[in-house]
Amino acid sequence: MHIPDGLMDPLVAAIGWIEFLLVLGAVMIVSGRRIRERNLPRVALLSAGIFVAQILNFPVGGGTTGHLIGAALFAILAGPALAVIGMSVVIIIQALMFGDGGVTALGLNALNMAVIAPLMGWGVYSLVDPVLVNRTRLGRSLSIALAAWASVFVAAASCAAELLVSYAVSAGNYGIAAPISVPAMLGYHVVIGIGEAAITVGLVAYLASVAPDLLTTAKTGMVAAGTKSILKSDTVKAAVAIVLIFVLVLPLYILYASAGRDGLEQVVAEADLEEGSPVLNAPFSYGKNYFETLLGGILGFLAVTLSALGLLRLLKWRGAR
Amino acid sequence: MRIEHMSSRRFVVKPLDEHAECSRFGGLDARAKLVGVLVFVVASALLTRQDIVFVSLAMSLVLVGASALPIRHVAKLYLGALPFILLASLSFFLFSGVEKGVTMWARASACVLALIVLASSTQTFELFSGLRRLRVPAMLTTLLMLSHKYIVVLSDELSRMTLARRARAFSGGRNLLDRYALKVISFTAGMVLVRSSERADRVYEGLKAKGFEKDLTGWRTSVLGVSDIAFVMAFVAASAVLLVLQTEVIA
Repeated sequence: MHIPDGLMDPLVAAIGWIEFLLVLGAVMIVSGRRIRERNLPRVALLSAGIFVAQILNFPVGGGTTGHLIGAALFAILAGPALAVIGMSVVIIIQALMFGDGGVTALGLNALNMAVIAPLMGWGVYSLVDPVLVNRTRLGRSLSIALAAWASVFVAAASCAAELLVSYAVSAGNYGIAAPISVPAMLGYHVVIGIGEAAITVGLVAYLASVAPDLLTTAKTGMVAAGTKSILKSDTVKAAVAIVLIFVLVLPLYILYASAGRDGLEQVVAEADLEEGSPVLNAPFSYGKNYFETLLGGILGFLAVTLSALGLLRLLKWRGAR
Repeated sequence: MRIEHMSSRRFVVKPLDEHAECSRFGGLDARAKLVGVLVFVVASALLTRQDIVFVSLAMSLVLVGASALPIRHVAKLYLGALPFILLASLSFFLFSGVEKGVTMWARASACVLALIVLASSTQTFELFSGLRRLRVPAMLTTLLMLSHKYIVVLSDELSRMTLARRARAFSGGRNLLDRYALKVISFTAGMVLVRSSERADRVYEGLKAKGFEKDLTGWRTSVLGVSDIAFVMAFVAASAVLLVLQTEVIA
């Protein structure tokens, strides 16, 4: 899933870099206070462990093999913030020292495998784990397996989306067309995700029985003191992690969104009807260029999220009464 | 025979800097190499006109030749990146025509080759030192440096355990339904982490004894020489020429 240089549309690559730097900067500021000097080698060891684990191939069938990504594993072992930093280190080492993945595409590679994959893995694990079988061993294994599979699949989906958006916005000069990128990326990673899930479950079970101290890192030093008071519940934090993935994909979606008419507008045009004057003039429009549309998209996203949260609070308040 | 078998370390990670000293660019300042090559890669990634893309590919090939790196080493790394490039080129052959497919292959190859030269002709420590001196945050460069040290330790452990697995007739398994194989692979990865944990602690204590702090204070303090500046200027000029040729056509 390591995208080389020259494959992505420059605007898509720039969006990747900006988003990656914003997320990495925020995570480093938030967790920087909590990472004591003593914790650095632990994070570095996990990064190196994930790097080496990526060398281990597992059999897929028909003589082919796949390899671990390890983002969900990192997030389960170390928490989401350090997983983002640690996986970024892995991606940078792979690009600069082993020529695996490009420099202009580093932002997108890191976004997929060092931001989206660990956030998805940790989000799914935190949401599903408390629900499944009251934290029995089978329930724990299932939640880890789901988290690992989802992290690989969503990262691959995001990579496929970047490739097809690149193709669409560059008029065929960059990226990979959807009929090839989507089935190739998703089809392959549906299966790879199963291997990732099996190995992550086995690895966490092994560490839990042999070296439980390696598993305790997540509880000791990963969440910044400031965020703890705001986000007390793991469920809320996991939901925020998954919502963040949607926020990160939003600029690409807006870039890809067609400027043509939608179905109803097309029907109205074909029937020679004229749209009447609106009863209410809305304060915002979808914008005329990319940045106006992006701003509109962000405002819309915030409005919908805040409305949903308000509605949930109202339901909770009524339920409590 | 036995010695050969014991020394066949299939899984040892060979860092790219093993040829750094024999490269003609090995002695240059890492900052100059980073800035020069990155400017060139960014400019090359922006090109869409086929003849200009071929000029950038030719420049990359000249760079490979000038670096005096073993061709076999460069070819091996290039082949590693080839599957993704070919997938993209195939998509172009099918949906955008042969010309754009060839352009895609040439553009990606130019960037990959330049990056391989940068990675192969720079010592790892120099590379991270260069990043730190280019104001990359200390936390990140320290983690990069520690991770690199641990990768060597871990791959060493992994190679030993792989040998032990092979000695017990483990062949890698058949498919995803092979529960035994997946169990062995996951336990191997877990065991590598556990066994390396103590060694990693010792490496860290060793670094502390040599004066290691959260931000390495012993980063290189070399000053940019004439050859370093010439290297950067050559790359900036080449990139500027490529971009001017490209934008003139667009306009």
